[in-house]
Amino acid sequence: MKPIFVFALALLAGMQQAAQQKPPATGAPKDFVLPAAKRFTLANGLPVTMVPFGQVPKAAIRLVVAAGNLYENKDEVWLADLTGNLMREGTASETADAVARGFAAMGGELGINVGPDNTSISTEVLSERAADAVRKLADVAQRPRLPESEIERVKGNLLRNLAISKSSPQAIAQERFAQLLYGEHPYGRVFPTEAMVKGYTLNQVQTFYRAHYGAARARLYVAGVFDAASLESAIKQAFEGWTGGKATDAPPLPPSSGRQFALIDRADAPQSTVMLGLRVPTASHKDWVALEVTDALLGGAFGSRITTNIRELKGYTYSPYSQLDAHPAQASWVEAADVTTNVTGASLKEIFLEIDKLRKEAPPAAELRGIQNNLAGVFVVQNASRTGVIGRLAFVDLHKVGPDYLSTYVKRVMAVTPEEVRRIANEYLTPDKMSLVVVGDEKTVKSQVTQWAQ
Amino acid sequence: MKLSLAIGTVAAVIAAAAPTDVAPSIAEASQTPAAAPAAGGNRLRVPVDYYKLPNGLKVVLSRDTTSPTACVAVYYNIGFRNEPKDRTGFAHLFEHMMFQGSANLGKMAFIRLVESNGGLLNGSTRFDFTNYFQVVPSHVLEPILWAEADRMRSLDIDIENLKNQQEVVKNEVKVNVLNQPYGGFPWIDLPMSANENWFNAHNFYGDLAHLDAATVDEVRAFFKTYYAPNNAVLVVTGDFSPDEVKGWVQKYFGNVPSAKLPGSPDLKEPRQEKEKRAGRTDPLANRPALGIAYHAPNRLTPEWYAFGLLDEALAQGSDSLLYDELVRKKGMTGSVAAGINFGLGNMFDYSGPMLWIAQFFHDSSVSSDALLAAIDGIVEKVRKDGLDQSALDRARVKMRSDLYASLEQFAGFGRANLLASFALFDDDPSKINQLEDGFEKVTPALIQKTAEEYLRPGNRTVYVVTPGKTAAQGDKEAR
Repeated sequence: MKPIFVFALALLAGMQQAAQQKPPATGAPKDFVLPAAKRFTLANGLPVTMVPFGQVPKAAIRLVVAAGNLYENKDEVWLADLTGNLMREGTASETADAVARGFAAMGGELGINVGPDNTSISTEVLSERAADAVRKLADVAQRPRLPESEIERVKGNLLRNLAISKSSPQAIAQERFAQLLYGEHPYGRVFPTEAMVKGYTLNQVQTFYRAHYGAARARLYVAGVFDAASLESAIKQAFEGWTGGKATDAPPLPPSSGRQFALIDRADAPQSTVMLGLRVPTASHKDWVALEVTDALLGGAFGSRITTNIRELKGYTYSPYSQLDAHPAQASWVEAADVTTNVTGASLKEIFLEIDKLRKEAPPAAELRGIQNNLAGVFVVQNASRTGVIGRLAFVDLHKVGPDYLSTYVKRVMAVTPEEVRRIANEYLTPDKMSLVVVGDEKTVKSQVTQWAQ
Repeated sequence: MKLSLAIGTVAAVIAAAAPTDVAPSIAEASQTPAAAPAAGGNRLRVPVDYYKLPNGLKVVLSRDTTSPTACVAVYYNIGFRNEPKDRTGFAHLFEHMMFQGSANLGKMAFIRLVESNGGLLNGSTRFDFTNYFQVVPSHVLEPILWAEADRMRSLDIDIENLKNQQEVVKNEVKVNVLNQPYGGFPWIDLPMSANENWFNAHNFYGDLAHLDAATVDEVRAFFKTYYAPNNAVLVVTGDFSPDEVKGWVQKYFGNVPSAKLPGSPDLKEPRQEKEKRAGRTDPLANRPALGIAYHAPNRLTPEWYAFGLLDEALAQGSDSLLYDELVRKKGMTGSVAAGINFGLGNMFDYSGPMLWIAQFFHDSSVSSDALLAAIDGIVEKVRKDGLDQSALDRARVKMRSDLYASLEQFAGFGRANLLASFALFDDDPSKINQLEDGFEKVTPALIQKTAEEYLRPGNRTVYVVTPGKTAAQGDKEAR
């Protein structure tokens, strides 16, 4: 905080003589209590979590299934997406349009979201229809029609999404960055080839569905306003008969490969999209919370060091950010920014300078305290919604970080010391192990980035 | 793992002045307001405590103790519609300057004050307002109110700050428009094509040369002209003591001097009689896209309520008529995205003429004319017959559910947004509690009549994005 603050004061000193007023003090923080969750497990092993929350008469329901891209074979990229999308096309007893109208009449919509680790089937409906929505959602999960008649159309939509995605410089950078970090592992495969998608058959979809959908691989969450007794009985009725799904079977991670570099030409681009970062320990590791604090201080918060430097002092970019991206076995840290083409090298230099500085010097206590307060406050805000609560609970379950993770989170954030931040940066954010992707105008950018190209 | 979704949300980014990196939290976080339906009825009752300070500042307090958080939102009655003609993008550039310092808060100090007190913040520039908001733990309200008052009273910027933010804003335009496939589609392209009046039809993100031309004196003059308490509303939602907050509002905002405001420009649009066609070649895109726009009925009129339900029935969700026809039955596109004030707000938070816009991405094997013909098949049927009872019933349920969702959005900010809009444009934030009635009163006959008039082919503008090289690029390569 110090260098920036001094800079600001120096500017002001020239313009005005009057002493600045200090902001008034804050009040005492109010108690924040996490909403109490009721947990139970059905006879078939499906864990259920119900959280009464808020006063608006709506309920959010989310079924999380270990059926993400992680479980695709090498030549099956986006088969999980195709399966998820085809699950929108009706159930054994209802056509797709009837399913859509059914959810809409409850004030909701069927959402099927395929992620790297999980696929979520979810909806958010008016409270009086919560039990009906659970039944409908259970029908979609357990008895999808997976109609042959719709597969070509659904594949066509995926192909269009693929093509459009790959015209965006951020997506191109993300694809290569994931490859550099994770190689042949599914986390390294962001996009399929067109030929792959065109070749998928209904049989492959059915096989993927049978292997990865079932009570043994799923968890159900409900948050909001609902009648607990009738909802619990609806859940039991709707899900108790669900069998199937093999035990989870995530492929092992390849070893980290050290610094790799890629420059991808985007002729005449006015900006370069840069991503740099590396694999780091994940949420179940003892250093995770300290890593989160370090990330926020370095590049995650708006007032963070890198953002202050390359945006607010240099004006190189609009939207720089760093973030941690956690999978159960591994996380990654990335700093990403779209910077004006002619300052691509200058931006990278500043980013690495900030990383190096934090690895050498513990941050001032006041700067760290500001970041800790920010994380603690944002944690409260993120727990202040139905979907926010479900997201947190699902995170705890995915990463198996234990039932007290949420209740002790703020305390652990506040306990991180300046020296610990320096140690974390030094131990995990090692520049010579960071991979670097630049998507930009090669003829202008190449000479600016040679020093990092091995 | 599908990254293409970003295309649909590009528009939201014009908003982000400051912390783009809070966006992930914004997307995830929303909150439950204490806005339960009144006992015995099905209507929302959002608490509304509305008053004005002697200097003209409108104040709305809306208490909600669901979580120990609060939202502070200051809305100024100046949007990008009425920025100076030779300074396109100026209103948005100015929004950035509001984060650059005030008498008692140096550069970065405002942002650090909010963040180090556990808060999130942002600002945005829209058609008819510029807003600044913070979501914070409720015990830090006093310094946040002090800080908002400080920058309302005493923006303090210099040439260095301005140069810095000119670069930042140019980078924003590059990342969201110039280096992006479909950049500016349809949220800039369609207003520019469909509207006749310059105020509604210029490039509000700004010409890069215009952005560069802005001077410190212009920034100061803009501040002096528009950023006065009598041109603003302050909304506080969340878990606070009303008496305490009223005391702070008086203490910190009470002595901010008011200003003589300029008259409002004439924003009127003529009735559109003939369909317009526009489009461009996009060298960064690899699939065609189609946007359509119709001038919507005037806000808060019976026809406008009816049009809101038409939007729900036609284009919102996978049960909608256009989704069923274009996606499920005809397989011409994979999704339908549409709305009044599309990409830049919702059907409540504006005040002048407004478009209903819908966008479709498709393959080159489907022509835009074929897609339009399929759209016409649905639209013409609704113009003639209106909606059947089940579609109308679903539209009302979806509207109610969407209204709750927008009130809950981002820890009270969604509610503050509606309260601010109704205070700023209608001098009556309690209108928030009359919306459900307005939608309930819509009759099937009004639906049909509204569709017949507002979904006229003559009221429509069609915008086509064609992938491929521009003429200039072709020349360059030929040489």
